[in-house]
Amino acid sequence: MTMRVDAKVVMLGKESVGKTSLVERYVHHRFLVGPYQNTIGAAFVAKPIQVADKVVTLGIWDTAGSERYEAMSRIYYRGARAAIVCYDLTDTSSFQRAKFWVNELQNCEEHCKIYLCGTKLDLIESDRGLRQVDYHDVQDFADEIGATHFETSSKTGSKVDELFEKVAEDYNSISFQFMTEETGIDLGQKKDSYFYTCCHS
Amino acid sequence: MAGDVHNKGVSWEVQQNGTLAPVDRLRNDRSESPTPGLVEGTEPGAGQESAMFVHAQSFEDLTADNEVPTETEPKGDSVLGESVEEEALCLAAEEKIQEDLHRSKEEDVCTEAWRSHRKHVFVLSEAGKPIYTRYGTEEALSSTMGVMMALVSVVEADKNIIRSIHADGYKVVFLRKTPLVLVGVSRTCQSDLELTRELQYIYYQIVSLLTLTQLNHIFQHKQNYDLRRLLAGSEHLTDNLLQMLDRDPGLLLSAVTCLPLASSTRDLVSSSLQAAKAKNLVFSILLAGDRLVTLVRKKDQYLHHMDLHLLFNLVGSSSSFREGEGWTPICLPKFNTAGFFHAHISYLEPASDLCLILVSTDREDFFNLSECKHRFLERLSRRSAYQALKEALKCPSYSVTQVGIPELRHFLYKSKSSGLYTSPELSLPYQSEEEQERLMGLYQYLHSRLHHPKRPLRSVYRCGETENLMAWVTSGFELYLCFSPLGTKALAVAAVNKLLRWIRKEEDRLFILSPLTY
Ligand SMILES: Nc1nc2c(ncn2[C@@H]2O[C@H](COP(=O)(O)OP(=O)(O)OP(=O)(O)O)[C@@H](O)[C@H]2O)c(=O)[nH]1
Ligand SMILES: [Mg+2]
Repeated sequence: MTMRVDAKVVMLGKESVGKTSLVERYVHHRFLVGPYQNTIGAAFVAKPIQVADKVVTLGIWDTAGSERYEAMSRIYYRGARAAIVCYDLTDTSSFQRAKFWVNELQNCEEHCKIYLCGTKLDLIESDRGLRQVDYHDVQDFADEIGATHFETSSKTGSKVDELFEKVAEDYNSISFQFMTEETGIDLGQKKDSYFYTCCHS
Repeated sequence: MAGDVHNKGVSWEVQQNGTLAPVDRLRNDRSESPTPGLVEGTEPGAGQESAMFVHAQSFEDLTADNEVPTETEPKGDSVLGESVEEEALCLAAEEKIQEDLHRSKEEDVCTEAWRSHRKHVFVLSEAGKPIYTRYGTEEALSSTMGVMMALVSVVEADKNIIRSIHADGYKVVFLRKTPLVLVGVSRTCQSDLELTRELQYIYYQIVSLLTLTQLNHIFQHKQNYDLRRLLAGSEHLTDNLLQMLDRDPGLLLSAVTCLPLASSTRDLVSSSLQAAKAKNLVFSILLAGDRLVTLVRKKDQYLHHMDLHLLFNLVGSSSSFREGEGWTPICLPKFNTAGFFHAHISYLEPASDLCLILVSTDREDFFNLSECKHRFLERLSRRSAYQALKEALKCPSYSVTQVGIPELRHFLYKSKSSGLYTSPELSLPYQSEEEQERLMGLYQYLHSRLHHPKRPLRSVYRCGETENLMAWVTSGFELYLCFSPLGTKALAVAAVNKLLRWIRKEEDRLFILSPLTY
């Protein structure tokens, strides 16, 4: 009796930008301090959320940012209704990487809504000099690609719930238009050739 | 050359068939201890039906793809017998140095502290590019690694293979595994073969993340590739594996240890796992911390203990799987270096030690396996086996005093046919990390004696200042014992029989006697 998932949501972004921390904050209302533990492969968690008068269950895929898993990423974002593309506000290169993911999504997942999320806002708030990614630049980029833009802190919790609530609301309103299309996750597609499945003989 | 520990240092006569005590004595014990395991398959802990793991003469198999080192033993090591052994033992006793104080990556590689680490491990590409260092940063070591690669190639230009250099208390061991080169620099008393075996583990750790096919592909296209790009974030897996190699007897013995559990409970857990199968599921593994609860496998598919250790390492060195359900590609190199399996990894409960690993051949299998987990849990809780299992978690080990041999401090017993071993918890004086590693060093030393490529021994007995040690290998089992220094050889010999009887009596709790398949 697996929980039924309504909308597949994928977290994308360079390693250590704070994807896992966002999910931790949203799902478990906590921020883990201590040495950074990079995600291995991906982690899945289902989270029901109340939208208007109904409950939408988000199936959140927290992917690993490491390049090692890049070839795998398609299975995580395939059929996703929303992608939260994260970058670290204190790291320009992470925004370049975010653009890479946006491009990837635009090419492969046209029905996937994109949310650009600048992370670690608390660091900027304590020291403005740390900001490396300009708010307005990202806003312009977001307008251009039709994305929604947030700046969050998993440490303080700032804007985290808003981000996921927006995702669920958008899903809820858009899903009326897509009534005929499949909801949930499509598992029946064929493998890509890059990763080899095992022959066991 | 002499070097015969066997005759010089051992008090009793070991007979040709590996029988330790007088044969008639064993016969007397039969009712209680039916042939204590002199024949493989009948030893305590041997499974009732088929084995779970790839059937192998463990150590030999493990190093099978590595030819036996040629007879070029340097001076120090060729004087076998007492002197070397005593030296080895006290050496190990002194080796407490500063370990752990400087584990940090930021460490300055020019300092004495950096040099004084007991065991360095370096991985580089054949182009001499740094890939991994246990201590310090790869950047700071790029020239050192260049020198290492130069050494390897100069020697190889002559159609020779460089295996090791011994100098000034250090051993430098090379393992070339195209497209990688691994180098170990050690001040421990481990043999070249043991060090090489550890390097192989590191090699397989890297392969498990990338597959050999992908590794070859990358370096064929770009010799100069900086592999750290792809390995980013995996350093702690390698760090942790090296620590396991220093501390976990399972890696030494090529065996796995089980959570002590009433066989009725274990059988229920196993059958619940067996029932929760899926088309592409190959292995279902339930772990309790670093212990195996049970393993169910697809018929005719065997897991190699080395691959299982890599899975243990993956789970043990990351809190990543605590959040939700993990889904990751993983290559099990001893099964197949070319492809990825896909592992569903999750804890049965958020704060639980019970971790379930479901290994599938299909990358799209996540939700099927998630479903398997739910079915397993449901079945388990319905039969109240879950409660019994959680109860057993409270005492994941046992005290050596239960055996009732006063001078016995610790032991390792491996059943060869099942690939499982049992060992009591570490009690005083082996509780600190230093002492734990020192004891492991002693076991490593005994192990290298029993498995010497040229002069293997059936048994070793050695008195030391801090403990007396004994090791014995038969075709059925391997046994390593650590006694207080007050014990005598006669006592040790008697202890073996008593211990084997005890293990026989407890075997259905300590081992997995009826492994299942689907
Ligand atoms: N100050 C601050 N630190 C944060 C915040 N979010 C994440 N971090 C820190 O950034 C580091 C990386 O966070 P993760 O959430 O693990 O990053 P990730 O994106 O999941 O990384 P990968 O799994 O490797 O892809 C950790 O040390 C976090 O503590 C934040 O909002 N504020
Ligand atoms: Mg993460």
